[in-house]
Amino acid sequence: MVNIDATIIAQVLNFIILLAILAKFCYKPLLKVMDDRRNRIINNLDSAEQTRLEAEELKKQYAQQLADARAEATAIVDKANKIGQKLHDDFMSQAQEEKEQLMATAREHIEQEKQQAMLDVRTEVISLATEIAGKVVSEKLTGAEDQALIAKTADKVLNK
Amino acid sequence: MGPEIIHYLPQKIDFLGTTVHMQTLYMSWITMVVVILIVAAATSQRKLIPSGVQNVVEMFIDWLGDLMEKNMGVEGRRLMTPFIITLFLYIFVGNELGMLPAVGVHFTSPTNDINVALGLSVMVAVLVYIIGVARHGLGYFKHLISPTPFMLPLNLLEDIARPITMAARLFGNILAGEILLVILNRLTPWLVPDIWIGFSLIIGFLQAFIFTMLTIVALAPVFKAVHG
Repeated sequence: MVNIDATIIAQVLNFIILLAILAKFCYKPLLKVMDDRRNRIINNLDSAEQTRLEAEELKKQYAQQLADARAEATAIVDKANKIGQKLHDDFMSQAQEEKEQLMATAREHIEQEKQQAMLDVRTEVISLATEIAGKVVSEKLTGAEDQALIAKTADKVLNK
Repeated sequence: MGPEIIHYLPQKIDFLGTTVHMQTLYMSWITMVVVILIVAAATSQRKLIPSGVQNVVEMFIDWLGDLMEKNMGVEGRRLMTPFIITLFLYIFVGNELGMLPAVGVHFTSPTNDINVALGLSVMVAVLVYIIGVARHGLGYFKHLISPTPFMLPLNLLEDIARPITMAARLFGNILAGEILLVILNRLTPWLVPDIWIGFSLIIGFLQAFIFTMLTIVALAPVFKAVHG
């Protein structure tokens, strides 16, 4: 046990045989599996990082698009408001104009009617007065001067 | 060491004028079978997602692989993994074998024989030179005269002393552990030997690790840039 003898050679052979058996049948496949796993994990991590970066990029894009859309929507609403206000103002002013025009026409019309009525009444009054006066003073007031006088008097009364 | 042997098989055989310790060889063979069984169990159903024995063996491989990569680089790890793992498992299982109770067979550690320990350490020393020459050509021997030729005696001494110290450390620890176990058994048959067995199991792991680590350290310069 403490003497160095041929056991040492046998032992080295033993170990080399053990190493050869294990290396051939066990380590190669096992190390291959471990390598595969390592590569796979590295690949997965890489692709996960890649995906994360892509997702971040997309998120940025979407945020940008959302902000753009929001700004655009605000602009559209503003524009619509302005257009609406303008239409409203236009309609209002047009209606005001029309109203004023209608009022003026109506006033004029009324004035005319009034004039006409006044003329009619005047004529009627004149003839009535003439007739009354004629009846009162049968003959005396048939002349043209009398008629003019009566007309003048009638006008004075009517204008009061 | 007394008659701790497999009694019904020859204890020694004479071989070309010298002797072979058969007890050591029987134990060495048992160790080899156990190592092969462990590794085969770990690798028979290789899975990308490991479980059970595969997990444990892969843990050792990863652990030693890290040590190898730190000391010898990626190439060194790729080339030396089977050797280092086998060396570690063989010494580890061999160290623990002597702690088994005698049931029919009296188990001893193959590593309690200087021939085993020295065989392994000399093999490592030779392997360093083989790989060194294979990678750097005959220029590898220049490391003996670096940094100056005056260092030749010291460098030679280092290369010779390393296998001897590695072997002595391993063999001495394991043999002393087993001798002490026998003595404790005679002194106090209960409890105390059990505590010592637990301690020896840790020593067995530790010595296997130390031997493997020293092997890695010895191999490290070979995988680095050419000396000089």
